[in-house]
Amino acid sequence: MTAQIMSGKDVAEQIRQELAPRVEKLKAEGVVPGLAAILVGEDPAALSYLKGIAKGCEKVGIYTETFGLPIDVTQEKLEAKVEELNKNPRFHGIIIQRPLPKHIKEVSVLKLLAPEKDVDCLNPLSMAKLVTRDPSGFAPCTPSAVIELLDRYHVEFDGKRAVVVGGAGNIGRTVGIMLLNRWATVILCDYKTVNPAEEYKRAEILVSAVGRARLVTKDMVSPGTVVIDVGVSTDKDGKLSGDVDFEPVSQIAGMITPVPGGVGAVTSTILLAHTVESAERLSQ
Amino acid sequence: MATILDGRKTSAEIREELKREVKNLSEKGIVPGLAGILIGEDTGSATYIRLKEKVGEELGIHAKMVRLAKDISEADLLKEIEKLNSDARIHGIFIQLPLPSHLNENKALNAILPEKDVDGFHPENVGKAWLGQQAFLPATPIGIYELLVRNGYRSLKGKNVVIVGVDNLVGKPLASILTQESVGTNVTLCHASSPDLADYTRRADIVVVSVNKAKFITADMVKKGVIAVDFGANYIPDLTTGKDKLVGDLDFDAVKEKAEAITPVPGGVGPMTVTMLMVNTVKAAKLAAGLI
Repeated sequence: MTAQIMSGKDVAEQIRQELAPRVEKLKAEGVVPGLAAILVGEDPAALSYLKGIAKGCEKVGIYTETFGLPIDVTQEKLEAKVEELNKNPRFHGIIIQRPLPKHIKEVSVLKLLAPEKDVDCLNPLSMAKLVTRDPSGFAPCTPSAVIELLDRYHVEFDGKRAVVVGGAGNIGRTVGIMLLNRWATVILCDYKTVNPAEEYKRAEILVSAVGRARLVTKDMVSPGTVVIDVGVSTDKDGKLSGDVDFEPVSQIAGMITPVPGGVGAVTSTILLAHTVESAERLSQ
Repeated sequence: MATILDGRKTSAEIREELKREVKNLSEKGIVPGLAGILIGEDTGSATYIRLKEKVGEELGIHAKMVRLAKDISEADLLKEIEKLNSDARIHGIFIQLPLPSHLNENKALNAILPEKDVDGFHPENVGKAWLGQQAFLPATPIGIYELLVRNGYRSLKGKNVVIVGVDNLVGKPLASILTQESVGTNVTLCHASSPDLADYTRRADIVVVSVNKAKFITADMVKKGVIAVDFGANYIPDLTTGKDKLVGDLDFDAVKEKAEAITPVPGGVGPMTVTMLMVNTVKAAKLAAGLI
């Protein structure tokens, strides 16, 4: 038996199609959803990521603008920019590209982000909302993409045994809290100290968020398990790879996400969905 | 026979160290200051805040307890908090909960400056703790961690920790401590309602329970050699006297026979909490002075 592929591309397309009429409705009320990005310096990877976001925004009708600041920007100027965007009614979502340069106190900047516009959960206050189940905030995009994939493929969480590989990382831990909030029993594993054959094999839902090529192999997965791969790394041949040894694992898993085309494909669409959601909330 | 993880003894050790530290700080002109707010005259709360005051004073901490009328308005309460926020002699502020029903607990807690929030209830601290950033964490989870570390479990690397009853005050912040890379444990978060609960708890090297149900964890639910930590509080009538007595969530006598180490109730995690509040207060004073 081979696993059902959970296609991030399909899910992203579905979300975009659902967003289109919501954006239309907002526009009819005179509101154009807006997303602002702050980029310090000119890191090519960050730039190409933001270009991808801009393209997605265009597709669904979100107005977007990237505010580039020089790499030696002062703390004050950066913070002033955040505060200016907080107040600017044109923008309903704000993201800040990280990492920020070393001379910047990152947490002080992120703390300023208005929680209602914090569409990628960068402010600790937004994280607190998620941890305490306050629905007024937004969850971070990558963990949200994991939950979205599970939901769209009708995977139930309640009472299920969900194992998170890479539970010591922020993404893994956050996926954990989101699954816990939906009444799963959650096992956060430190991939360095865990006995994989023992823990991973017992999973009904297995999420890996480490960033190590082929960390999760076939012998660690039980038949029928739902396998979600959040990790992205390059393998020794320089090929893009997830944490999961895809081919062999897909022969026994119940469902599986590919890399690329899985979680990553949904993540940026979640950012668009959060921006539209924020525009709806703020215009009410 | 299990080692008893004695919270009173461990607490006393920490307090001795704190006393020395406060003395050193005071010699540099830094007297850690702790303010508590009590609203109304609930006897339990009044006793508890007096205890905090007394322990603070014993350690050389400047303890200032503010007692407010039970019908105080929200605006006046916020003003009192603001006064303490701007008082340079006060490094830590806590509000004795619960509040009377006309007051909004979240609003009051959120009014405390995060850098003075030694109870770790302010959302900024909750969020930072979860992200592994420098933050104040609530006294109970850090007390549990400290109790383990100081009683022979300095390294928890690779241990399977099963937390039963994951709430905002204990379970979640404890998980955020234990999943830091430097700690390296594997943490299972169970709801009291999780199906096959025993299946999880039996595999635990360390089981932490906080569900407030007497004898919830029985001996057949744990493996031999488990470290059992209990933060339950239940009052049940004593068989002979008929008077209520305090017990935890473990079936203590039976679990003790299988465990390598176990916390009693009372005298386990409970006594650690006031001490950890003092630890946080000293930390707040040091942070304010730029010493850490």
